[in-house]
Amino acid sequence: MTVFTEGNLRISFPSGTNARIFDDASHGLSHCMKAVDFVVDIGHQYLFIEFKDPDAPGVPENRREEYLKDFLAGRIDKDLKYKCRDTFLYEWASGRADKPINYYVIIAIDTLTPADLLVRTDALKKNIPLRGPRNAGWTRPFVSGCAVFNIAAWNKHQRRYPVSRIQ
Amino acid sequence: MSLTKLEFERFTAFDKLTLELSPGINVFIGANGTGKTHLMKVAYAACDVTKTKMNFAEKLNRVFLPSGRSIGRLAKRNKVSTTGAAAVYRDDLKIRVSFSNRAETPESAKVTGQPDWLAKPIESVFIPVKEMLSNGPGFRSLYAQREIHFEEIYADILDRAYRPPLRGPADKGRKKLLEQLQKAIDGKVIVSNEEFFLKNKQGNLEFTLLAEGIRKLGLLWTLIQNGTLLDGSVLFWDEPETNLNPKMFGALMQIMLDLQSAGVQIFVATHDYVVLKELDLRRENHHEIAYHSLFHDDHGVVQCKRASQFLDIDPNAIAQAFSDLYDREVNRTLGSGAQ
Repeated sequence: MTVFTEGNLRISFPSGTNARIFDDASHGLSHCMKAVDFVVDIGHQYLFIEFKDPDAPGVPENRREEYLKDFLAGRIDKDLKYKCRDTFLYEWASGRADKPINYYVIIAIDTLTPADLLVRTDALKKNIPLRGPRNAGWTRPFVSGCAVFNIAAWNKHQRRYPVSRIQ
Repeated sequence: MSLTKLEFERFTAFDKLTLELSPGINVFIGANGTGKTHLMKVAYAACDVTKTKMNFAEKLNRVFLPSGRSIGRLAKRNKVSTTGAAAVYRDDLKIRVSFSNRAETPESAKVTGQPDWLAKPIESVFIPVKEMLSNGPGFRSLYAQREIHFEEIYADILDRAYRPPLRGPADKGRKKLLEQLQKAIDGKVIVSNEEFFLKNKQGNLEFTLLAEGIRKLGLLWTLIQNGTLLDGSVLFWDEPETNLNPKMFGALMQIMLDLQSAGVQIFVATHDYVVLKELDLRRENHHEIAYHSLFHDDHGVVQCKRASQFLDIDPNAIAQAFSDLYDREVNRTLGSGAQ
């Protein structure tokens, strides 16, 4: 099993999974390109995974509330979009990005409801965007799917890659 | 003095149910057929008789309008003979009605506690799902003179709306509420020959030409302006979201919270997530909200669980609908790109 940590969160992948921490020092272009936390090759597709953890211990309550408001109002969407897009460009220029990509964002706020997650998932799909222009859909969309989760929703839908909080 | 408790025994959808009420906002959620409107009608009838002095059983019969006006039909349906009962409390005061399922007239029902209950009048208004102000002209006289098949809540809401404005300047709280509403509807409501109009810079617009959302806010403006909704009043609102653009829910919920702050006890039944969420996001520490979740248990009996926080509502029929949608959305994404 491969285990990665990001701040106070931990994600586990089955042994043999080709998973990389993407936004570490080896990225080398953080001054001009944004980056998701992890890139995972699961054979038939790549997963771009981004963690956001405003519930982390030590985060002041007002910062947490501020982040929640920004998230629900869609003010984080742009950052999420650029992280995905820049990661794609980086991977494409590196000669990878040769399989469909799914982009998953995990917002570690327990109180997010399914309705909140559904609304932000729809907004992310629109912002990436998943499809090309209305009259000429892309034949090679660079992201084939995306979704926003909290930890509980992630662990319900992605049992192979459980996420937990480091106690 | 606000309503404190409701009790039902073999009454319409209920086998046996007790609800402890909040003096602030009581939100009722639950699937269709769990009795949300029924319990609000009972509570409303109990409030209304304090003003009209009508017999409680007679008022219940008028607001429920059972077939043939047989009050016995309000008893929970059972193959054997049974007795239905409902009781409403204001602290130590209690009014109770009970009747056999074979009872045909309200006079054969037994009402207890009515004299003491009537000694302390309570102002109330029930806003039904169907908007009525645009149907106002002629309706009241028709209702008074003919046997038309309308539950009395429809005539009652018009009676309230036709009341003339309160004399004298509005106090600070009422003025603020009226200004909020005027801003939202961009005008004031006036009545001419029983017809409701929105008066603004463009002139007088008849209610039949207005969007239903504006009509609803206009109704609230009227009820606040004429003193129906004041400190100590009780507001019952059945599905305020009906025919309203969700963008207006925020303004509506803010007014509901402000009414509660002004001392109005509120009962609201809703199927809408945005209504719940707007209340949750806009509430402040001083607001009192109780969420009553009605549901059928494994035996098909209606039960109720109370929560004071949005996230503690359980079961939450509205959130469950979103949960199902979210799961299907994620499953579709997980499926995309699969081999």
